Amino acid sequence: MEFKEVIGSRRSIRFFDPDRPVEREKIQKMLEAMRLSSCAVNAHWARAIVGFRDDLAEDQLKRLLTPVAALNVELAPVHIHLFNDLGIVNRIQGSRLKELVDVGALAPTHGWSHKFVDEFVYPQILKPLTGSPFYQVTSTFDVGVAACQALLTGVDEGLGVGFVTLNGAVLKEVFKTPDDWIPLSTILVGYPSERADGGGQRPRPPFEEMYFEGAYGKPFKRDDKVVAELKAAKMIQEPAKPNDPARIEEIKKLADKYGLPM
Amino acid sequence: MAEETTEQPVELRPLQEYATVREWLRGLQQHWGGDPANDDPERLPMLEAFCRHINRDPDQIIKETTMIKDGEKRIRVKGRERYVGLIDVWQAAMEGSRIRKAKWGNTVRSFLIHNGVLLQSGVQN
Repeated sequence: MEFKEVIGSRRSIRFFDPDRPVEREKIQKMLEAMRLSSCAVNAHWARAIVGFRDDLAEDQLKRLLTPVAALNVELAPVHIHLFNDLGIVNRIQGSRLKELVDVGALAPTHGWSHKFVDEFVYPQILKPLTGSPFYQVTSTFDVGVAACQALLTGVDEGLGVGFVTLNGAVLKEVFKTPDDWIPLSTILVGYPSERADGGGQRPRPPFEEMYFEGAYGKPFKRDDKVVAELKAAKMIQEPAKPNDPARIEEIKKLADKYGLPM
Repeated sequence: MAEETTEQPVELRPLQEYATVREWLRGLQQHWGGDPANDDPERLPMLEAFCRHINRDPDQIIKETTMIKDGEKRIRVKGRERYVGLIDVWQAAMEGSRIRKAKWGNTVRSFLIHNGVLLQSGVQN
């Protein structure tokens, strides 16, 4: 699939085929994509624990189910649980920044040197940052970036994907994670049992309400020619319609199939 | 609950007199179309059976699963959890196939859902 089409085809899938397993190599590709994501100070806070649903003990799976995500979790054959490894910055102490200096990604042209990392960046910026109330927010942003790459790779592999938030305390217990890992979202993965287009692209706020040029309040002007180009590239696709009879019929059939309330 | 206490059996009015039942039917109609009270003649009797089983009227069920806090309607987490369990147990005790049992439970779940009490029960078939 072309890159723009991957972005345009991603939906939060909520009906997975529970009986169709996901190839292990496709999960690995999602993890490989996470690993290659952009990350501040090359710290890489993102951690993931892959749970193959059918490998979980019955009580483990039961503990993961929440009133708001029981169905999705039960249907999805694979769960990728995301965590933020908060301890990483103080464990690596700037060494990965120095790796970037060594490979020329950070160069003296931009003021970088090993000495700068050792004497200034780690002790004066990064170490204090780890004690700041903003640390969790800034580092979690980068986990989100990594997760997004995994998500899109899943779509490119023909999988259905979707985020859910499970009970963090339960995740830490079930998967025995280190104390300084913060539980975040879970990516559910499987083959969709609903149409992959999910009835169309989901509603989004108007472009001009979200993006600005120069200063807040001056909308970034949306060029119709660009929109047309993105439609041709299948990044912007047919929007989902309210009360679409075809979508309603599809959900009724899925409700029947899985015995769901309506 | 009736089987646990000496409460008097609940006296139920015709179900459509309860605001929460009307809300349920309105929600069903809005989402799925049709005439929810009559399209499936088992729908209301199934909810009534559950109400009698737990000795609560429909409005009481919603009251026990929601609350008003700071002027806003909230879900009572423990109340919802309790009803999730009650529905599961009641459904399991019904006669018939797994699909048939699921229909009993899902009818009550639907009643809660359309009254704003989000719950997921997992695959029932």
